[in-house]
Amino acid sequence: MKKTIKSTIALSAIAILGLAGCAESNGDPLVIGSQAYYSNEIVAEVYAQVLEDAGYSVDRQFALGQRDVYVPALLAGEVDLFPEYTGNLLQYFDPSATATAEEEVYRALQAALPAGLTALTLSGASDQDSFNVTSDFAMKNNLTSIADLAGVSGIRLGGAPELAERPYGPTGLLSSYGVTVEFEATGDTTVESLVAGLIDMANVYSADPRIQQLGLVTLTDPEGLFLSSNLVPIASDAVDSKARDLISAVSSAMTAADLVALNVRSVDEQLSSSVIARDWLVSKGLVG
Amino acid sequence: MFSIGELFGWLTNPENWTGRYGLANLFLEHLALTLVTLAMAGLVAIPIGIAIGHSGRGETLVIAISSASRAIPTMGLMFALVMLMGVEFREFAVALALISIAIPPILAGAYAGIKSIPIVIREGARAQGMTPWQQIRHVGLPLSASSMVGGFKIAYLQVVSTVVLAPLVGLGGLGFGVIQGLALRDFAQLKGSALIIVLLSILGERILTRAQTRLDRRLTHSSEDR
Repeated sequence: MKKTIKSTIALSAIAILGLAGCAESNGDPLVIGSQAYYSNEIVAEVYAQVLEDAGYSVDRQFALGQRDVYVPALLAGEVDLFPEYTGNLLQYFDPSATATAEEEVYRALQAALPAGLTALTLSGASDQDSFNVTSDFAMKNNLTSIADLAGVSGIRLGGAPELAERPYGPTGLLSSYGVTVEFEATGDTTVESLVAGLIDMANVYSADPRIQQLGLVTLTDPEGLFLSSNLVPIASDAVDSKARDLISAVSSAMTAADLVALNVRSVDEQLSSSVIARDWLVSKGLVG
Repeated sequence: MFSIGELFGWLTNPENWTGRYGLANLFLEHLALTLVTLAMAGLVAIPIGIAIGHSGRGETLVIAISSASRAIPTMGLMFALVMLMGVEFREFAVALALISIAIPPILAGAYAGIKSIPIVIREGARAQGMTPWQQIRHVGLPLSASSMVGGFKIAYLQVVSTVVLAPLVGLGGLGFGVIQGLALRDFAQLKGSALIIVLLSILGERILTRAQTRLDRRLTHSSEDR
């Protein structure tokens, strides 16, 4: 009897040690999360495939909603790797941040991230707010930059309800460019409203395929009104240095045009994120 | 993160009540969209409900419509109609989606009201030589009014809570503060707007319940008078 108890304890100890050992040598799958946003999910799938190709086991926890939901999960160590956007994430951790340029935002984000989370290599691809007009409207008013709007009156700006209060919304337009706009909350129908002529200018994410498809003109932003928001992988301490190198390589390989192309494939060809991710990784020679 | 004081402060700040997206305007938009929808749905559903209840024909239709309505994803229907009709007609598209969720309960209320009138009363009215119109006007409507108001009450609650989704397709209403507050993490705005929506629902429900009790009481009183 005594002997069996002893051996049970010994076995348990071995089992526990064994499990602990596993955790250190990548036995635990790396949990990769994504937002409930198709473009973000494709990027998360790219990360997952490149890690799997290198022999890591990964657990995909996609479509986790918005920051309020998944950032606490990242902080709690329930998610290890997440594709993020520098500007928007910086704004989440530091709402009073003033940086808008690409490098500045990246540095500010690194400083603002809580202990345990690291921003890996910055990607050249960005998906950020931008003001767009129809090509007709741009031609008629001779527009290429937001600054050109100063001479145009009665501009109706459409976007999600929160744009009304964002620093780059109507208030920012007035203070940075001296442009007065009337705000229309067009919600999820912003692009359609622009095309239908209900609004003159629309806030659309820069990697949205419809900008190309509908021939919209994205106005340049010389005053840095918009917060730069480049793709950046956010990793927890559970991601080892080899995995970090792999993900950083993916991040620097992804260009702005690549990201739009990935989105176009999803919207136009209705392909699954795993196919889109696989094709892109093969085309870049990142998986064997 | 959140306190009653903050909520109270937000609700009592006059700045939050004025302007295009101020609470006053959003409240009126919300109420107007709700009432217009209910009126339109009533115009369609009441006559049909009465006709079916009176004639006893098409009863399966009432059952089918009211059970099918439970399965309609309202938000999906709203988006689909806006895309189908075009954003220029989003007011109509949203109203149509709301009307489609308001019709079943009103129809069921009207039908059940007429149907529940005892057969002796209906036959009595006919035996007195009343025309079908007179039977409906003097017997059917007064006796089923309370049940009809009950149908409107259910429809009101569904519509007033669904109008919250309207800002997603570019219309106003009190949902604006919920959606904007969520995105801006402005929880005072979110909860303040939500509180007004809840109060609007409860207030409407109380008014219609009171109307129902009045109608019931008037009926018992008038029968006692005779």
